[in-house]
Amino acid sequence: MLDVTDITKVYGGRTVVDRVSFSVSKGEILGFLGPNGAGKTTTMRILTGYVPASAGIAKVAGFDVQEQPLEVKRRIGYLPEHPPLYRDMLVRPYLQFVASIRGVPRRQVASRVDKAIERCGLASVAGRLIGNLSKGFQQRVGLAQAILHEPDVLILDEPTVGLDPAQIREMRQLIKSFAGEHTVVLSTHILAEVTATCTRVLIINEGKIAAEDTLERLAARGERTRRLALRVARPGDGAEAALRTVPGVLRAQAEDGVPGGFLLEMQEGQDGSEAVASLCVSRGWGLVEMRPLTLSLEEIFIRIIRGEAA
Amino acid sequence: MRNTFAIAWREVRTYFTSPLAYVVIGVFLLLSGYIFWASLVRFSELCLRFGSNPYFSSQLNVNDMVVRPLFGTMGIIFLLMIPVVTMRLLAEEKRSGTAELLFTCPVTSGQVVLGKYLGASFLLLAMLAVTLTYPSAIMNSGAAPDVKPTLVGYFGVLLMGLSFLSIGLLISATTDNQVIAAVGTFGALLMLWVINWMSESATVTLASLANTLSLGLWEKLGWGLGGPTLGELLSKVSIIEHFNDFRKGVLDTQHLVFYLSVIVTCLFVTQRILESRRWR
Repeated sequence: MLDVTDITKVYGGRTVVDRVSFSVSKGEILGFLGPNGAGKTTTMRILTGYVPASAGIAKVAGFDVQEQPLEVKRRIGYLPEHPPLYRDMLVRPYLQFVASIRGVPRRQVASRVDKAIERCGLASVAGRLIGNLSKGFQQRVGLAQAILHEPDVLILDEPTVGLDPAQIREMRQLIKSFAGEHTVVLSTHILAEVTATCTRVLIINEGKIAAEDTLERLAARGERTRRLALRVARPGDGAEAALRTVPGVLRAQAEDGVPGGFLLEMQEGQDGSEAVASLCVSRGWGLVEMRPLTLSLEEIFIRIIRGEAA
Repeated sequence: MRNTFAIAWREVRTYFTSPLAYVVIGVFLLLSGYIFWASLVRFSELCLRFGSNPYFSSQLNVNDMVVRPLFGTMGIIFLLMIPVVTMRLLAEEKRSGTAELLFTCPVTSGQVVLGKYLGASFLLLAMLAVTLTYPSAIMNSGAAPDVKPTLVGYFGVLLMGLSFLSIGLLISATTDNQVIAAVGTFGALLMLWVINWMSESATVTLASLANTLSLGLWEKLGWGLGGPTLGELLSKVSIIEHFNDFRKGVLDTQHLVFYLSVIVTCLFVTQRILESRRWR
């Protein structure tokens, strides 16, 4: 549905997006994850045809964004970071206006507007001035504006920014409900956002793609690093040194702030946890807890951004 | 076409749901109405004083003394008000981020420009249409103005207003600040208004000017130093110079062509400015 090959954007000598390539197939929700200023918004603007790419090709449903912009624009719905609202219009006339410039057939305008109002839960505010609505409702009007013409591709730039936790939850439900019939690309700098809504994630940093994977595989990266958290009731002197002698243990270190706690780094492919347990028992330390540690997605994200291997 | 009308209609709605349209039209009616009334009072007083004198009464003409000053006044009010009408057209879209909506919709920049222009033109038309009541109010009196010159005058005011709007739209496209758009438009309009003031004294010919700029090359090529003067050029560019014939009730195609070319040029350049976003 979406094919991006080597797009690059240079703003006054500064490369904001650097040879980014990816593709999204129908029905997927792709999360664009990256710190602020990573080039997410610019990439999305290139996809929607708002700014041209300096180099590279972006295709939506087989149409080139640069060569056939109108065909592309007919097939996308776009919610920019700041929802593009006319503050001095009422909600319904605003949606009717957007429907007509998005090319919704005249006869269907009323029914599509009604449908979008219903889907985005705007019925209670349909007759109010947009400028007087709360941020949450404004964001929803922005979303309603993007789905009016039932686009193939929905591009959402930080859709939950500035919403309260309850609204964020609703917004995520709403976005999830679009998957299947629409292809969704959303950007965010919050990891939880991606875990909650997306099927695939693309981590972008300083204009480059740092990682691209499904959530499961990304989480699996965290499981590969073999670390053990150990807690014993009565560690004797030299417990650290004793633990290091166990075959399969690479490193052992007392955990700060946890009495009797140790962090062990185990050798890949050799399960040393049994040997550790029997050592604790034979020395009479009183084994309380032993569990494998996995990296959280948050940690994986930060490691990828820093350029470390996860 | 549908996109153009949708954008124009939204523009009209915005004008008329905010106080802007009412304030602009109200002030315009107040000022032009006062001038009309004042010249009518003066005219009737002159008629009373000199009506019996056959020499003077032949000089007393409603079109000259009441209708013509009305058009002159309207021109001046436009000069001050059109910048207010056009300042937000494109500048505000850019400032508020709604430009991102317009330019990611299947709409061409030509349609955006035309839609905006039509929307603002509607406000101008509405404003002028109400003032048609002034001359028609005296139509059944003894001082009925001639209809044709009056209509020609209205046509001239309309054309001038439309060309002002196109200049305002062009300047609004260059900035995202409404105040800058308004000040810039006012400056441009006033400049075009007064540019012919030195037409009498600027007797240097264009050819000799070109000769000086090309360090004498012009003359060596034998292209001659005669021809029109700078002053003549300036008076052709002046937006008020072309208005005078309309005011007198004379319909001359050269003036029509002038205003239409101002409008077409400005709209075209505006479209190019919007389009430039795509290759910058």
